[in-house]
Amino acid sequence: MRAVEKLSENILDKLSIDFLRNQVLKNAYGNNDTVIAGMDPRILLLWYLFFGLVPWFVNDLPFLTGCFLLVAITTLLARVAGLVLFLFAIGVFSQTGYLLVVTLLFGGDASAIAPLLVLTLKVATVSLASITIFSGLDPDKLSNGLMWYGCPERLSFSISYAYRILPLLMEEFQNVLLSYRLRGNPPEHESFVGKIKYLIYQIKIIIHAFYPLMLNTAKRSRTTVEVLEIKGYRYAAVNREVKKIKLSSLRVGNNDLLFLAISFLWVAVTVLISTLI
Amino acid sequence: MNAIEIEHLTYSYPGAEQPTLKDITVQIKEGDFLAIVGNNGCGKSTFCKTLNGLIPQFISGDFDGTVLACGLDTSSTDVGTLAKKVGYVYQDFENQIIRPTVLDDASYACLNYAMTDYRERGLRALEQCGLNGKQDDYIWQLSGGQTHLLALAGAVSLQPDVLILDEPIAQLDPMHADRIYAVLRELNEKYKKTIIVIEHHTEYIADFCNHVMLMKDGQVQWTLPTNEALRHVEELQECNIFPPQVTIAAYRMQKAGQFPQNAVWPTTVEEGKAAFISKQQRHEEKAPASANSGETVAAFENVSVGYRSVKGEPHVVYSDLNLEIHKGDKVALIGSNGAGKSTLMKMLVGLLKPTAGEVRLNGSSIRDVKPEALSRQVSLVYQNPEDMFIKDSIGADIAYAMEVRNITDSQKRTDELLERFRLTELRDRDGRLLSGGQMRRASLAIGIALNPGILMLDEPTANLDIATRKEIMRTLDDLKAITETVIIATHDMQLVCEWADRIIVLCGGEVVADGNRDEIFANQEIVEKVGIRPPEIFTMGQVLCPDALCYTIDEFLNCFEGRSETNASG
Repeated sequence: MRAVEKLSENILDKLSIDFLRNQVLKNAYGNNDTVIAGMDPRILLLWYLFFGLVPWFVNDLPFLTGCFLLVAITTLLARVAGLVLFLFAIGVFSQTGYLLVVTLLFGGDASAIAPLLVLTLKVATVSLASITIFSGLDPDKLSNGLMWYGCPERLSFSISYAYRILPLLMEEFQNVLLSYRLRGNPPEHESFVGKIKYLIYQIKIIIHAFYPLMLNTAKRSRTTVEVLEIKGYRYAAVNREVKKIKLSSLRVGNNDLLFLAISFLWVAVTVLISTLI
Repeated sequence: MNAIEIEHLTYSYPGAEQPTLKDITVQIKEGDFLAIVGNNGCGKSTFCKTLNGLIPQFISGDFDGTVLACGLDTSSTDVGTLAKKVGYVYQDFENQIIRPTVLDDASYACLNYAMTDYRERGLRALEQCGLNGKQDDYIWQLSGGQTHLLALAGAVSLQPDVLILDEPIAQLDPMHADRIYAVLRELNEKYKKTIIVIEHHTEYIADFCNHVMLMKDGQVQWTLPTNEALRHVEELQECNIFPPQVTIAAYRMQKAGQFPQNAVWPTTVEEGKAAFISKQQRHEEKAPASANSGETVAAFENVSVGYRSVKGEPHVVYSDLNLEIHKGDKVALIGSNGAGKSTLMKMLVGLLKPTAGEVRLNGSSIRDVKPEALSRQVSLVYQNPEDMFIKDSIGADIAYAMEVRNITDSQKRTDELLERFRLTELRDRDGRLLSGGQMRRASLAIGIALNPGILMLDEPTANLDIATRKEIMRTLDDLKAITETVIIATHDMQLVCEWADRIIVLCGGEVVADGNRDEIFANQEIVEKVGIRPPEIFTMGQVLCPDALCYTIDEFLNCFEGRSETNASG
């Protein structure tokens, strides 16, 4: 009941769109001076290939713990926005974490806990590795990296453009929601029933707000489409020369090699430990 | 040599019955600084889009005749090649920015056209547009004026010979507007670019442009040197273009026989110095004193507020703000872009909670009151009317706030409002598809639907052509009778002078001045500090006679007359 109350109060107030927008921007561009952000995207994607895949196939606890610690450190280094970490925590918990807690509460012994712990570690490691890459790197670097590995130009353009348009969309959405707030008349929400009604009302409004949002966005994008044409987006998409110029900014530096070496060493040590035990 | 040569151009949009452009034949000289004027819907923007090949190559339709831009035929040369010759800056320039950082966006086109020196070109364009030092900024850190300069830099980076700008200063405060035009002048004079602007502000045309081209119903009426063009007072007014106030003043003086018949009308304040002279007997009307002792309806007490920023510390807008609004006040909030006008309004409707201090409405604090509960006391009309349309027709939009409150005669009141704002015919249309002025009227009707005691309007006259602006000003005058207290945030000093009886000047999060128009505009220190640009006619009066305070042409006519040979020597 408390949770419903809280949710009902919070949905438009505390978790405002303004806050979300801020977090999205922070996530994409607010941490461009970190160690992770300064690295070569190709190296990081290679690194991610390992930490995103290997943990799924290994059940060795020390190894997984080792990997988890490493990606936890890289996540810290990438200074990921609070909201993303929060979503990560919720995600892991709802996947497997709650099973672990329930098992513990109802007197499950170590034999039940171990496999759950392994699963939780796997999920957490892979998620944190993804967070490091996708939120530690700014979208342009990421899309350049992907392009180097042969992903189509459209995909990399979409990634960087999405980050450009997302804040605008959210601002637009916020304004539309504010219109509803200023003119709407929400149900009383003193009583418990009222609170549930208020929650439903808010969800309804969020759904309704999509209609004006889409129309407003459509109106705006008319100019954007013309500008893309003038600015030669279509030429660039089929021109190999442009791809070469774009990718020429990518450089593997000492930091990248050092990072790979440390990661490698760390993994080697954990493998060693797990064979010793 | 001609930058643009057009012969017998006729164009109609797909599905349109009437052609938008009708048999246009015109040449634009290389190195010209040309203003295109004409009323809404006369085909100005369409005309400009034929110059860079968007029409007919990207936007199809019936296209006849030839358009040569820098010697290239726009219907057969591809858009990319044309873009390197003709740059275009849209009216809604925010949507023209594609990339997240300044340098990235400025060099984006060069990169796409595979120019290896794209970064240098971007940097050079930023420098030409006065944005040096900003290259690593993110676009959301820029002010409106800077964003516009960036859109311009994006076009300049390809070093085109011709630059087209669609209403470059419609959304900007005077300081930023001056900046844009200074940049354009430099591009024109130093870098020899041909500049074409679509512009409603004739004061700027008089100061900066060489030629004026008048369009009417899809046709070019004439192209004339600026001075001469602006003296076609009657013809311009017929097309809803308002010549500079000094020119209108001279025109009206001559009609009243107070201006020598053979003298030319001035178009700028500078020319006006020689043309006008103080009357022997002046009938000056003093503005009524602003001391409004009505009860306080809204108050800010030691209010502080800030915004989250993407990086680092929150950005503080106000610290320790104190301000009272009285019943019956007609307040104009002025100050440059980013001075905190919108923030102040958002606090008053409860959308933004102060971090410290209290905001009081009718005596009680609104800290714990939800915005929904305040909507009968106070209402806000956004700068961007599109965001106010939440239903699929304006009739439903106006009725919405009343219907959800189960107000019994909501239908009747909706009809009344539609009638009052002359929207009855349009009641079933979606607000977004209306013209600028209609949209603005609809948003005003939505704003006063609940009959609030305090009405706040954010930039009600921005982005409107002069005729629509006059219409909105009339509507605002009507509102005086309906709504007790009205607060308007605006850059439009003519609106301020003609409408407000109390002016609050914001600068750097502080109220730096508060008083009636005489107290504000005659205060040199404030005017300079905040960068207020009074209406041209006021400046003209001051130049002629430092203690003249004429806010309108009528007041000016009461104080001054044309300088004839006889009274010049005597």
